[in-house]
Amino acid sequence: MLILSKNKLKMFFITFFLSLFSFTSMAKDTVNILGIYPFSGPYADSGELQAKGALVALEEVGYKINGKKIKYITRDSETKASVAARRVQEAIDSEDIDFVVGPWSSGVALAITEVAKKNKVMYYFSGGTEDISGKKCHKYAFMWAANAWTAMDANLKIFKKAHPNAKKIYLFVVDYAFGWTLQKYVENLAGKYGLEVVGVDRHPLGHREYSTFITKAMSKKPDAIYMINFGLDAISAVRQMHNFGFTPKKPVVMSWSSGMEELIQLDPAMRSNLIVGTNYYSSIDTPENKAFVKAYKKKTNGIPPGYAPGAGYGLMKMILLGMEKSGSTDPKEVIKTLEGMKGKAFFGDFEINPNNHQTVRPFFVLKTKPESEMKNKYDFADIVAVSSTEQPKNMNMCKNIGSF
Amino acid sequence: MTFLIISQILNGLGLGMLYALVGVGLTLILGVLNIPNFAHGVLYALGAYFAYSIASLTGSFYVAILIAPLLVVLVGFVLESKGVRRLYSAHHDYQLLFLFACALIIQEIIIIIWGTVGFSLLPPPNLSGAIDFGIIIYPKYRLALIAFTIFIISMLFLFFTKTNYGAILRAGIENRDMVKVLGININKVFLFTFGLGSYLAGLAGALATPIFGLTPSMGMDILPICFVIVVIAGLGSIPGAVIAGILIGLSQGAATIWYPEATNVVVYLMMGLTIIFRPQGLFGTR
Repeated sequence: MLILSKNKLKMFFITFFLSLFSFTSMAKDTVNILGIYPFSGPYADSGELQAKGALVALEEVGYKINGKKIKYITRDSETKASVAARRVQEAIDSEDIDFVVGPWSSGVALAITEVAKKNKVMYYFSGGTEDISGKKCHKYAFMWAANAWTAMDANLKIFKKAHPNAKKIYLFVVDYAFGWTLQKYVENLAGKYGLEVVGVDRHPLGHREYSTFITKAMSKKPDAIYMINFGLDAISAVRQMHNFGFTPKKPVVMSWSSGMEELIQLDPAMRSNLIVGTNYYSSIDTPENKAFVKAYKKKTNGIPPGYAPGAGYGLMKMILLGMEKSGSTDPKEVIKTLEGMKGKAFFGDFEINPNNHQTVRPFFVLKTKPESEMKNKYDFADIVAVSSTEQPKNMNMCKNIGSF
Repeated sequence: MTFLIISQILNGLGLGMLYALVGVGLTLILGVLNIPNFAHGVLYALGAYFAYSIASLTGSFYVAILIAPLLVVLVGFVLESKGVRRLYSAHHDYQLLFLFACALIIQEIIIIIWGTVGFSLLPPPNLSGAIDFGIIIYPKYRLALIAFTIFIISMLFLFFTKTNYGAILRAGIENRDMVKVLGININKVFLFTFGLGSYLAGLAGALATPIFGLTPSMGMDILPICFVIVVIAGLGSIPGAVIAGILIGLSQGAATIWYPEATNVVVYLMMGLTIIFRPQGLFGTR
C-alpha cells in the first residue's frame, strides 16, 4: 500500500492545481471554432467548397484574432442530423469549442441549433430553413442567408419584370420542410405580381427523372416553371426541360440556387433562359468580394466561388467581425455585439435583426447569358436584381429570442 | 387527361427500356455466375463517363456510343478474370465484399479523373429538340432511345434463342454444373457473361448521359433499381428483367399523375408486393 507523507501530499496538490491553472491559461490563449460541413452524403460536393471558403477568411487574419490564436477544426456532418449533432457535441466536449459554423442542410441545422443552445455555444447557420431565425430561434443561433420570404419575393418580382405578359406558373417542389416553406411563400406572393400557380408537383429529394413531371406541367401550358429544389435535383430538372424543348422557349426559375456550382454542370444550351435566385454570386461588385474571389481562385485553379464557398467564407467573416468589434472572444460578448449590427460585407450592406438574429442582407437574382456573350468560361450569368426587402414582421415566428 | 396518359406511357416506356438494359446485364451475371454484381452500377457510370470523354474528344455522340461500352467490357474482363474468378468457390460474403469494394474504388477513380462536379452532354444535333405530335410534345432523343433499346433487346433475344452461345448461356443459368460436365470451358462462359453484362451496363450509361447527365454517384443511384428489377423479374430471368424494367418505368409515370410524391416509393412498393405474393418473381422458377 502506498503511503504518502504530509509533504508529499502537499506537493501533489500544488502540482495538480498548477497544472490545472496552466491548462486553463492555455485554453484561454486560443479561440476554438468548429466547421461542421457535409464531406460525405448527398451534399458531399459542397462540404469541401464551404471549408475552402472558410479557410480564406482565416488566412486573411492569419489565424489570429484579438491576440489569440484561432484553432479551427472541421467535422463531417454526413448530411445526417443525428450524426452531425453527435459530432458537434463531441467536439464541444473534447475540443472546448466556442463557435460553430455550417452545416448546409436544413434538417442538420435544426439538430445542431439545439446542441448550440444546450451548450451555450454561438452558432452561425449558412441558410435554408427559416426556423433558425423563426420558431426555433434562440440567443446563440444566427442565420446568414436571406430569409426565404425575401428570396421568393425577389424571384417573382424579377420574373414578372422580365416577362410582363406571363400569368401562369407551375411549381416543382422538393418534398421536405424547406421546400414546403418556399412553396407556401410563392403561393402567397404570386397574386401580388399578377401570377397564378396553375399546378404544384412535389418530388422526392434526390429525384433524377423529371420527364413525367415535365409532361404533366406542360399539359397546363404554364408561362414558366418555378423550381423549388436544389443541387442535383435542380440540375436534372433543367437538363430534362431542355430535352423536352420547354427551355429556351419558356423561362425556368431556379429559386434557391447555388449559382456557380449548379450552372457549371449544365451545357450552355441548357442554361438559356434561366432566372436564378441565389445568396451569392462571384460577380458581386464590392472590393471585399473581389479580394475574396481572387484569394479563392488561387485555391481552385481559377474556378470562382459559388454559394457554398461564399457561405463558408461569409459565416467565418461574421464571427470574426463580431470578435473584432467586441474585442472579445467570449461567445456572449460576440453575440451582444452582433445583435443589431449594421455594416458592409463582401456581399453588400447588412444588418442583423436583434429580435430574431436574421442577417438582413441582399438576395441576388441572376439571368443566364448565351454562350456568345460569355466573357470567360465561368461567366454564366449577370446579376439583374438585388433585393434586401425584409420579411414582414407578422410572418416571422420568432416571438422571443430568449436570454443567455 | 388523354394527353397526360399518353405522355406518361411514353415516359415510362423510355425510362423502363433504359432500366431493362441495365437490369438484363445484372440478371445475366447473377443467373450464370450466381454472383450479385454490386459493381454493376459503377460500370453504368463508367459507360457514361467514357461516352462523355469520347464525345468531347471526337465531337461525335455516335462514336461515343460505339466505343464507350466496349471500354467498359474491358474493365469487366479485368474484374472477372483478376478478381471474381478467384472467389467462385468462396462464400457469398467474400464475393459481395469484393464487388462492393470494387464499386467504391471505381467511384473514387471517377472522382480523381473527372472530379466531383457533374457534367451535361447534349444529344446529337439531329436528335436534339422535341417533336410536336399535336396532342403531345416529346423529345426526339427519348423516342430514338426507345427505338434503339427495343432493337438491342431484340438482338439479345435472337442471340439467346437462335445461337449456340445463347443456348450455352441459358443452360448456364439453368444448371452451370451440367454445362461444365458437357466439356464447355466454364471460365470462358463466365468471362463472356461478365463482359456482356458490363457491355449492357456501359451502353445504358452512355445512352442515359444526355438525359441524366453525369455525376460520380450516378452508379450508386441506379444500383438499387437494378436489384429491384432482378427481384421483380425473378432471379436469372432475362425476359422478366425486360418486363420488370418497363413495369417500373410505367409505374413511376402513373405515380406522377396521381401521387407525385410517391414516384420513388412505388418502385420499392412493387418489389415488396412481389416478395409477398410471388417470392420467386414474375418469371422466376427458383
